[in-house]
Amino acid sequence: MDFARTAEEEVFASDVRRFLAAHPPESFALDGMDAGYGSGAHSREFLAALAAQGWLSMCWPKAYGGQERPMFLKLVLMEELALAGAPFGPLAGGWQTADAIIEYGTDRLRREILPKIASGEATFWQGYSEPDAGSDLLALKTTARRDGDHWVIRGHKIWSSHAGISSYGLVFTRTSQEARRSRGFSMFVVANGTPGMDVRPIRSLTGGVYHYEVFLDDVRVPADLMLGPEGEGFVALLNGLDSDRFWGRFYKAPALERVLRQLVDHANTTAADGRRPADNPVVRRRLAHMATQIAALRLMFYRAACLIRDGGSITYETAVAKVMADETGQRLAQLGVDVLGLWGSLRERSPWARLGGRMPDTYLTSLGHTIAGGTAEILRTTVAVRGLGLPSVRG
Amino acid sequence: MDFRPSAPQQLLVSTARQFLGARCPIELVQRLALDERGFDETLWRGMAELGWQGLLVPAELGGSGGSLLDVVLLVEEMGRACVPGPFIPSAVAATSALAAADPSLQKRTLPAMADGARIVTLALVEEGVSFDPDAVTLTSDVPGHLTGRKLFVEDAHLADDLLVAVRSADDLTLVLVPTDRAGVTRVPLDTAGTGRLFEVIFDGVAVGVDDVVGAPGHGRAPLVRALRAGALTRAAEIVGAAQRVLELTVEHAKTRVQGGRPIGGHQAIQHACADLVRDVDASRGLLYSAAWKAAEGEAAEGDIAMAKAYAGEAGLQVARRGHQILGAIGYCEEHPMHLFHKRILAASLDFGDADLHLETVAQAIGLAPLALSAKPVASPFHASGSRRGDP
Repeated sequence: MDFARTAEEEVFASDVRRFLAAHPPESFALDGMDAGYGSGAHSREFLAALAAQGWLSMCWPKAYGGQERPMFLKLVLMEELALAGAPFGPLAGGWQTADAIIEYGTDRLRREILPKIASGEATFWQGYSEPDAGSDLLALKTTARRDGDHWVIRGHKIWSSHAGISSYGLVFTRTSQEARRSRGFSMFVVANGTPGMDVRPIRSLTGGVYHYEVFLDDVRVPADLMLGPEGEGFVALLNGLDSDRFWGRFYKAPALERVLRQLVDHANTTAADGRRPADNPVVRRRLAHMATQIAALRLMFYRAACLIRDGGSITYETAVAKVMADETGQRLAQLGVDVLGLWGSLRERSPWARLGGRMPDTYLTSLGHTIAGGTAEILRTTVAVRGLGLPSVRG
Repeated sequence: MDFRPSAPQQLLVSTARQFLGARCPIELVQRLALDERGFDETLWRGMAELGWQGLLVPAELGGSGGSLLDVVLLVEEMGRACVPGPFIPSAVAATSALAAADPSLQKRTLPAMADGARIVTLALVEEGVSFDPDAVTLTSDVPGHLTGRKLFVEDAHLADDLLVAVRSADDLTLVLVPTDRAGVTRVPLDTAGTGRLFEVIFDGVAVGVDDVVGAPGHGRAPLVRALRAGALTRAAEIVGAAQRVLELTVEHAKTRVQGGRPIGGHQAIQHACADLVRDVDASRGLLYSAAWKAAEGEAAEGDIAMAKAYAGEAGLQVARRGHQILGAIGYCEEHPMHLFHKRILAASLDFGDADLHLETVAQAIGLAPLALSAKPVASPFHASGSRRGDP
């Protein structure tokens, strides 16, 4: 066993901290809102600055322009960025797409898309959910039919994060009707702005825009922009969802840690009802309890990371970690509102806002986390069926 | 980062699982739970033959000089088998304290403890029911005579010696008092747990300089070593027992048929089982990380506190939900479920409950020390806050 960072990881972490000191996160222009997952806001400028360090492609094979550095450096990078509150919103999506392209992409995808991911130019939205296909993803109705060298996509995607400000969509479609419900799906990389694509914002309960719906009206996509083998898209998608649960939530523990540190500082230095919150035994206990849950959460993700690194099979480990991440996040948001009291309702632009006025959005966005990327209920079923071998409800 | 035990640790764990499977079946645990002494000599000797009681004893004193991480992995297996007996009080806590004693006392005690012939238990807690060393009030001159009492002393009926924390020479002193010394009385407490707890009464018990661990007034350091090792291994016992509860529960959910299908096919049961997995896995992660840090000699106070606080709460949650899923059969004495539940309950209280450990965590995360002068908050909604004439 070993629970410390390696020497290489330590050196890299100090490189990242030096980079952050020289490039303060708050100095970068933001393009899209922070949905509270821990990866901060969407900032192409910040992504380009990470690219300039060579960090976006550092773990890729050299044949694709990478440096073949250990996967754990990506974790170190995310941890340091999340602890600093940096706006690295599109980072995980780029990495996941690159991994899929390297694993089973066409020559054209490798040639055209990988360099754009490495430079921070390409960002991605996921076209999975549909109005009638949420938790039951296989009920999706979007189709792609072959027409010469192209596929023609027709359908309606929804809840696609940052779709309006991204470069490409990863659009999951049905390409044939098969007897088995899980066969006949294919994934396409579709450039934003392709004729027939209409991207519309959905304003959320926070007042900001994070999700979009995308209408695809006979969108023509070159056949070599299909990602993965034709008709086998579901297997790729399942792998992608495991990967999504991991890379889309790994940074939550350090992000929660950051909020907790702010709350500890607040509890030590301000007064509420005539005393410091730090002198309230209930507040002390709740903050300490939360710190313990966050530490446990971090280790859940590192255990999954070790399995991924060592080539072990993931059955339930990312699913259980995602549920824990999102429920812990909701409890932290509740704790934050409680510790701040009335201050907890003031937003960024308000006079008197505390902790940057972030707590209301932290609270509100956390509501979406146990729904997005697989609801807590679907994932608990995954843990029970795939992890424990309990009988599937479908039989 | 690496969660895998080393090859020798894997061997230790697989040997333990095999040995306990054969020599400590659940029927034995059930029998001992109802037995007045609650102790199986043969099992204890068999464990000693495998070197378990000597794991934390230096090699030159007849042990194997293992690490806290090794012993944590072993105790996790013991928790999974619900092994009864004084292993944690004697082979972990008392051994950790005595390893800080002067060489002559070490030589007198540790070799016999390592081979299982001698059992030592800690006598710390008093009527204040606290594991905080500062809560000790029993006072004695050393040398001198000890009069007073200790409570919640584990397995005092089996112990050859008591490691007693007393206040002397301005600070704490640990003294080793044989249980057969004149003036020592052991009174059993009737507990709901599966362990055996005692009140120990000292009536003018002679205490000499040879009985002192370290030196008079220097008992705090060995005591803290014992408490940390005890807290860590009780957390390990909880993780092992909770793992077994998970296994019993999932097995039941797969095989118990109601309404024509296994109850594990219902989402209500599936989701409860998923939470058991989360609680066990998360507890284990904190446990291993804390034990590794302690074994590496790093400051692990906050990590151990987190591991113990988390395992205690999560373990009980697992036990209660396990009971719910098992249904009526789990309520019977003949079903083993209650043994694991009681073991987790006792372990969660031993060596500091969640409240005590979370205060350690509070300080570790940078919360300012509690100002004892802080005024209680007066609420205007409370009767005493209302002014005359208000409704």
